Amino acid sequence: MMAMSSSATASNAPLTKRQRTSPYPTWFFLPAAIIYGVLFLFPTFSSIYFSLTRWTLFDSTFIGLDNFAQFFREPFLIQGVINTIIFALVTCTLKVVFGLGLAVLLTSDIRMRALLRSIVFFPVLVSAVGVGIAFTAMMHPTRGIINIALDLVGISGPGWLTNPALAIYSVALVEVWRGVGLATVIFIAGIMSIPQDYYEAARIDGASAWERFCYITLPLSRPATVTVIILSFIHGLRNFELVWAMTRGGPGFASDVLASVIYKQYQAGFYGLSTAGNVVLFVLIALMAIPLYIYLNRREGHQ
Amino acid sequence: MIALRRYGLTVIAVFSTVIIFIVPFLFIVLTAIKDRTEAARLDFSWPTNFPVWENFWTVISTRNFMLVTAYINSTLITVGAVTLLVILAAMVGYVRQRRKGWWNGLVDFLVLAGLMMPPAVVPTIWLLQEIGLFATLHGMVFIQVAYNLSFCIILYRAFIATIPRELDEAAIIDGARPLDVFFRVILPLLKPVTVTVIVVQSVTIFNDFVNPLYYLPGNQNVTVQLTLYNFQSQFSTAYNLLFMNILLVTIPPLIVFLFYNRQIVAGMTAGAVKG
Amino acid sequence: MADLALKSIHKSYGSVEVIKGIDLDIGHGEFVVFVGPSGCGKSTLLRMIAGLEEITSGELYIGEKLCNNMEPRDRGIAMVFQSYALYPHMSVYDNVGFGLKLAKAPKEERDRKIREAARILQMEHLLERRPSQLSGGQRQRVAIGRAIVREPEVFLFDEPLSNLDAALRVDMRMELSKLHQQLGATMIYVTHDQVEAMTLADKIVVLNNGEVQQTGAPIDLYKNPANLFVAGFIGSPKMNLSPVIAGEVSGSRIALGGEGLEQLSYAFDGHRQKPGDRLTLGIRPHALKISETGPVKGKVDLVERLGNETIINFRLGNGEQWLAVVDGDAPIGRGGAVAFSVAESDIMLFDENGENVRCLVSAVDGEI
Ligand SMILES: Nc1ncnc2c1ncn2[C@@H]1O[C@H](COP(=O)(O)OP(=O)(O)O)[C@@H](O)[C@H]1O
Ligand SMILES: [Mg+2]
Repeated sequence: MMAMSSSATASNAPLTKRQRTSPYPTWFFLPAAIIYGVLFLFPTFSSIYFSLTRWTLFDSTFIGLDNFAQFFREPFLIQGVINTIIFALVTCTLKVVFGLGLAVLLTSDIRMRALLRSIVFFPVLVSAVGVGIAFTAMMHPTRGIINIALDLVGISGPGWLTNPALAIYSVALVEVWRGVGLATVIFIAGIMSIPQDYYEAARIDGASAWERFCYITLPLSRPATVTVIILSFIHGLRNFELVWAMTRGGPGFASDVLASVIYKQYQAGFYGLSTAGNVVLFVLIALMAIPLYIYLNRREGHQ
Repeated sequence: MIALRRYGLTVIAVFSTVIIFIVPFLFIVLTAIKDRTEAARLDFSWPTNFPVWENFWTVISTRNFMLVTAYINSTLITVGAVTLLVILAAMVGYVRQRRKGWWNGLVDFLVLAGLMMPPAVVPTIWLLQEIGLFATLHGMVFIQVAYNLSFCIILYRAFIATIPRELDEAAIIDGARPLDVFFRVILPLLKPVTVTVIVVQSVTIFNDFVNPLYYLPGNQNVTVQLTLYNFQSQFSTAYNLLFMNILLVTIPPLIVFLFYNRQIVAGMTAGAVKG
Repeated sequence: MADLALKSIHKSYGSVEVIKGIDLDIGHGEFVVFVGPSGCGKSTLLRMIAGLEEITSGELYIGEKLCNNMEPRDRGIAMVFQSYALYPHMSVYDNVGFGLKLAKAPKEERDRKIREAARILQMEHLLERRPSQLSGGQRQRVAIGRAIVREPEVFLFDEPLSNLDAALRVDMRMELSKLHQQLGATMIYVTHDQVEAMTLADKIVVLNNGEVQQTGAPIDLYKNPANLFVAGFIGSPKMNLSPVIAGEVSGSRIALGGEGLEQLSYAFDGHRQKPGDRLTLGIRPHALKISETGPVKGKVDLVERLGNETIINFRLGNGEQWLAVVDGDAPIGRGGAVAFSVAESDIMLFDENGENVRCLVSAVDGEI
C-alpha cells in the first residue's frame, strides 16, 4: 500500500517549505555544461586575452593590438584572410548551385534515384585528408588524370595546384565535390516538403518545367537554401583539412587560409599571433552567425 | 521532340554525375592495388598485376604497425566520446525541451555557438597541458564531446518534442524519480535518434583530423586520419601504399553508410536544418 | 480514510488565473465527476490533486494529510490519462508492473498483483503484448490496470473515454461503474461530456471558468440547476431558454410575459420578483407536452421522428428556436402551428444574474 496510509495520522503539520523537486532537474545540464564550459567556452574567452600577448605557453607579455596589427600588415597573413573569404564564397555559391541542380535531378522521376543519392552523398563521409591526397594526385599538372582527360578533348589543363593564382580555387572545387552531397540532401528534404498540389495546379495552368522550377521549387525551398548557405559558408571559413592535405598553403602562401595560418604560427611558436588569427576567424564567423541567430529567432517567433 | 531532348539532358546529367563522383573512388581503388611503378604513373588504367596483399601488409606493418595502433586509438576515442555524447546530450535536450526557465535562451545560444564557432586552439592546448589532459586519449574524448555536443543536443531536443509529456507524468505517478523517468522511460524511447547520433558522430569523430593533429601529438597516440598525414611524406613515392592507406581508412565509414545511410542522411539534414 | 478536501484552491499561470478558489469535500468511496466545457480548468484541478501541477494557493488534504508539497508517488493516488500514456517499449505486463518495480516490490508479489489486475480487467491474454499491438479499448484497460496495481486510495481519470468510439465508450462506462463498486475506492473523473457525468457520478461538480458552479447528485443538478450555466450544460437536448418579463405578481404567483408564451405563470413562495423584472425562463424539451390549449405556442420548423420519440424544432412568436421531445410518433407536420403545455414544477426561472430563483421544487402542480 501507499506509504501515506501507514503514516497518515503521524503528522498533520503543514509542510510549508518547498520540498517538491521538479521531475526535470537542472543538474542534468551540469555534466555537459562542465565539459563544454571548460574545454570550449573557457579557451574561447581566454583567447581574447592571449591574442593580445606575446606568448610562449609558459609566460605571456601583454603587447596590446600588435598581433592584430601584424596580421593586417604582413602580406602573407592578409592573403590568408582574403583566401578564407574567397574559399567560403566560392564553395558556398557552387554548393548552392550544384546542390540545387542535383536535388532537382534526384527528386525527378529517374531510375536508381536512391543509389544516385547515395553516390552523391558518400564523399561527405570520406576522410577529408584522403580526398585531398587523391585529388592532389588527380590534379598533377602533367600526369594527373584530370589534365589527361582534358588533353583528350584538346584542352591543355592548367597546373591546378602549382599555379599560385589557381591553387585556392582548385582546393575549393574539391571541397565542393566533397560537400555538395550534404547540400543536395538538404535541398532534397526541402523540395520533398513542398506539397505536390502546387505542381499539379501549375501543370494544369500550363506551366513548363522551367517555370515550375522558377515559381514553385525555388521560392518554396528557400528555408533549405538559407540553411545551405549558412552551413557551407561557415564550413568554408573554418576549412583546414583539404588545404593542408593538398597544398600546405602553397605554393608559397598562395593558398593559405586562416585555419592553416593558425596552425603554421602555432608550429612556429608564435602562440599569440596564432591566437590572434583564431580571434579574426571568430569575428568573421560571428559576422555571419549573428544575422543567422536573429533570423532563426524571428522564424521561431512566427510559429 | 521536347520530351526526347529532356530525356537526353537527364541522361547526360546522370551520366556526368556518376563519372564525377565515382571516378575518384575507382582511382583510389585502382591505385591501391597496383605495384609501385604503375601507381607512380598516376593514370587511370587497369593494373597488370595485383599486389593487393603485399600493399596491404606493407601499409599495416609500416612503422611498427602504426596503423593498427591508430585503429585501436581511433576506436577507443570514438566509442568513449559517442557514449558520453549520447547520455549527456540526451539529458540536456530532455530538460531543455521539457522545462521552462530563464536558462533556455542561454542554452540555445551556447548550442548555436558550439555549432558554428571554431575552437580557440592554442589556449585549449595550454589548458589541456595545465590540467594534464594534453596528448592523452581521454583528453581527446572530452574534446570531442565538447565540440560535438551542440549537434547531438539539437537532434535529441527535436526528437524529445515528439514524445508526449503524459508519458513522463504517468511514470511520475507510478513513483518514478527524475533519474528513473529519464533512464527507464525516456532514454529507451530515444532509440531511433540515438542510432542516428551514434552513426553520425562515429563517422565524424573517426574522420576527424584537425583535433588529433593539435591535441594528440606523439606516435603512440596516433589516430587513423593522422596516419595518412604521417605516411604522406613517408610514402611520397609509393602512391600504391598511400592509396591503400586511404582505402583502409575509408572502409569503416563506408560500412556504416551501407547499413545506416537513411539515419545518417536524416540526422545530418535534421541537424543542419534545425541548427 | 481517504477523504479529500480542497480548501480555497487557486492556480495561476503567470498572471492568468485559471482556477479561482475552489472548496470541495469528497467523501471516501465517492465517485465524483468534474464536468465543464473545454478549457474551464478541470484537468488543471485534477493535476493539482495528482501533484503534477503546483498549487498556487490553498490547501489540499488527502486523508488527513496536507498534500500541497507532497510528491505524487506519496499521495496514494493513481491516474489514467486521456491518451493512456502506456510505455511503448514495455509489454503490457511490464507496463502494469512498472510502479511496483519502482517501489522494489518482491517479484512474486508483483506477479500476483499484476495477474490479479489482469483478471479483474479480463486482459490476462494480453499480458505479453506491446501497447502498439492493442486496440483502443484494450489500451484503456491496461491504463486502468496500471492504476489498480498501485492500490491507490484515490483514482484520478482525465477524460479516459474520449479517445474511444461511441459504442465502446458506453461499454467502458459501465465497466468503470462496476469497477468502482468492486474496489470501493474514491474516484475522481474529469469529462466534458455531461452524459458521462450523469451516468457515472455519485456527485457531480460543474465547473466553468475555474469556478465551481454547482455540486450535487446528478438528479439534483438536472431538476434544480443553481444557475443558467448549469441549466444549459446538464441535460440533453439542452434546456430551452428565453428572456421573459415578470408581469403581475399576486401572492406567490408571477405572470410571465413574452411573445409565444401566453398566460404562463409561475408559483413560488418567497420569490422577490417585482413586475417588470427581466428574467430568463427555462423549460426542458422533455417537459413540453402537446396540448391544443397550451400556453407555449409556436410554428414547427422541423420534425425528427426517432420512433420512440419525436423531436420537434419550433419557433416561438418572438422568433426563438425551441425544442420539444414528445413520446411516440406525434402527428405533427412542418410549418404548422403547435402548442405545448408544461407542468408548473418543470418551469424554471433565472434572475438577471442567472441564478435560479427557486432553490427548491415547487409543490404547486397543475396544468395551466
Ligand atoms: N501550462 C499552461 N500554461 C498556461 N496556461 C495553461 C497551461 N495549462 C493550461 N492552461 C490554461 O488553463 C485553462 C484550463 O486548462 P485545462 O485545465 O486543461 O482545461 P480543461 O481540462 O477543462 O479543458 C485553459 O484556458 C488553458 O489554456
Ligand atoms: Mg482537459
